[in-house]
Amino acid sequence: MSEASRTPAHPLLRRLMRKNVLSGLMFIAIASLGLWLSRDYPIGTLRRMSTGFMPQMLCWLLMGLGGIVLLQGLLARDGSNLAGEIGHADAATEGRENYWSIAFVALSLVAFALTIETLGLVVAIVALVLIASFAYRGIAWWETLATAVGLTLLCWLIFVLGIGMTVKIFPEL
Amino acid sequence: MELLSNLATGFGVALTPQNLMFALAGCMIGTLIGVLPGIGPIATIAMLLPLTFHLEPVSGLIMLSGIFYGAQYGGSTAAILVNLPGETSSVVTCLDGHQMARQGRAGSALATAALASFFAGCVATGVLAAAAPPLARLGQSFGAPEYFSLMVLGLVAAVVLAHGSVVKAIAMIVLGLLLGLVGTDGNTGAQRFTFGIPMLGDGLDFAVLAIGVFGVGEIIANLVRREVEGDAEIAPITRLWPTAEDFRLAWPAALRGTALGSVLGVLPGGGATLSSFAAYVVEKRLSSHPERFGKGAIEGVAGPEAANNAGAQTSFIPMLTLGLPGNAVMALMIGAMMIHGIQPGPQIMTERPGLFWGMIASMWIGNLMLVIINLPMIGLWVQLLKVPYRFLYLSVLLFCAIGCYTVSNSTMGVLLAALFGVLGFVFIRLDCEPAPMILGFVLGPLMEDNLRRAMRISSGDPMIFVERPISLFLLTMTALLFLIMVLPSFRSTREEAFQ
Repeated sequence: MSEASRTPAHPLLRRLMRKNVLSGLMFIAIASLGLWLSRDYPIGTLRRMSTGFMPQMLCWLLMGLGGIVLLQGLLARDGSNLAGEIGHADAATEGRENYWSIAFVALSLVAFALTIETLGLVVAIVALVLIASFAYRGIAWWETLATAVGLTLLCWLIFVLGIGMTVKIFPEL
Repeated sequence: MELLSNLATGFGVALTPQNLMFALAGCMIGTLIGVLPGIGPIATIAMLLPLTFHLEPVSGLIMLSGIFYGAQYGGSTAAILVNLPGETSSVVTCLDGHQMARQGRAGSALATAALASFFAGCVATGVLAAAAPPLARLGQSFGAPEYFSLMVLGLVAAVVLAHGSVVKAIAMIVLGLLLGLVGTDGNTGAQRFTFGIPMLGDGLDFAVLAIGVFGVGEIIANLVRREVEGDAEIAPITRLWPTAEDFRLAWPAALRGTALGSVLGVLPGGGATLSSFAAYVVEKRLSSHPERFGKGAIEGVAGPEAANNAGAQTSFIPMLTLGLPGNAVMALMIGAMMIHGIQPGPQIMTERPGLFWGMIASMWIGNLMLVIINLPMIGLWVQLLKVPYRFLYLSVLLFCAIGCYTVSNSTMGVLLAALFGVLGFVFIRLDCEPAPMILGFVLGPLMEDNLRRAMRISSGDPMIFVERPISLFLLTMTALLFLIMVLPSFRSTREEAFQ
């Protein structure tokens, strides 16, 4: 624990940032969403279960389990293994996290999805590699470029020549 | 002998040039991803599912299983040489294997790991061949109530044996069960949780979920932590054969590891990882010099390596005989079967003996191939360890994207993978293990279906589950597991075993 090196947060806030508290809240949120979505599904009877029976039962179960996890996290004493805080995962990498990676990785997949059918495989691969390369600090521009070219060739070999995937390769001019 | 004629059928299928080639391909890919950290068998099998669409079902399944047990071999190479567990099942191999490497005994450790794995693989394949037919016959007498109870037992056992918080693991299973319900309700034809998206009408694609959570999620977690920079120091290999003294110490450990792994692999939630942890604890307890452990004790390599391979092999037993997946990889194998129109269950053995015995025979062949791949060709895999992560993650990400696109045949699959990738990262960050969720996802529709049928048989009386003897037995086992779980002594042992 290298808490000393940080500006100490408010105790209440730190309690809320515990992994178990956040997990509990996540489960409760998902269960609530499920219950709201399945509000109009007919439940039926035990003998003839209908569309809504399993979803609603599982959502209530998830809500209860989420509640237990939440309480475990809130009530745990500092230092017990139920009280682990997010961001204090391991001291070695603490403070060097690069949260932009989440956005760039997700964005690169979105770009791939948007281009593969309209602009073809080559554009999609290059777009994915270029955007995803921002997720890693310290990759040289020529390395990105070389990876893009190499992967394009490889994918063409495996997927187009190898298994005969029917996909547009280049954008039509 | 029935067993011999069955195995003859199996070898007849497995020894065709085509199937030999796919077994080799699976073993090579498995070793590759086993060596490379940051990509595991679950994401790889999910990514390669679309490649098997064009193949014969047997060939596809042979290749996919090769990836699974091949990864156990490759994982130990990275663990021994660079102290990086390529797979979770080789975490314990790092402890003594890397110490051996630092003392200049890398070759001995590698050879011990490969030979112990090979021995365990052979024995476990035999166990699989012998245990499968009686279990499948038992499975054929199961009705809907028995199946439902069996699934409950499987899911609960998966939690007890998994590491981390029990409540969170149960919550993840329930979340998986819920995700499994997305799509059209098979009984009423109504749409559930589809948000009006046509692609979701057939349900969430299993491969897309697995690629997202395990492939993309893992990449994001690695990049955010930035743990992947800097060059790994690779221990040099001198002589590639254990000394007589090493042999003397290693073989009893390999024997014990094989026995332990064969048993633990069959249990739901068991398989390779649990077996290797358990074997390490056993070896340390039994040793007359426990202080040598962690400082390069060869038993600490031989035992767990034998156990993880035996466990990987025998975890096929419940999948092949009852259609029940004990771990996430087996869940993927079931997914692969269903893609080919094969309904997993006890009838596979009688209806498709070629597939059933062919897969078993190919496992023995695959283990033989792996010893050859891993020992003489070790230099090649060492070179691979030098590939920097910045090239690796871009390639893996691209294969994730193409995999999702081909498996779902729509761009929606890629978008969903991005979503599940972010979710997978959140799970990793919150210490919520995603593997139980995958198990729940596969069992969700099956459980609902069996519950509905059981309720129709009994006219809505839930007592049917305790009135049927087999079902009652299974539920009693479930209750016992729950009781053991809350016992303080078991809880502390469990925490100790998983650190």
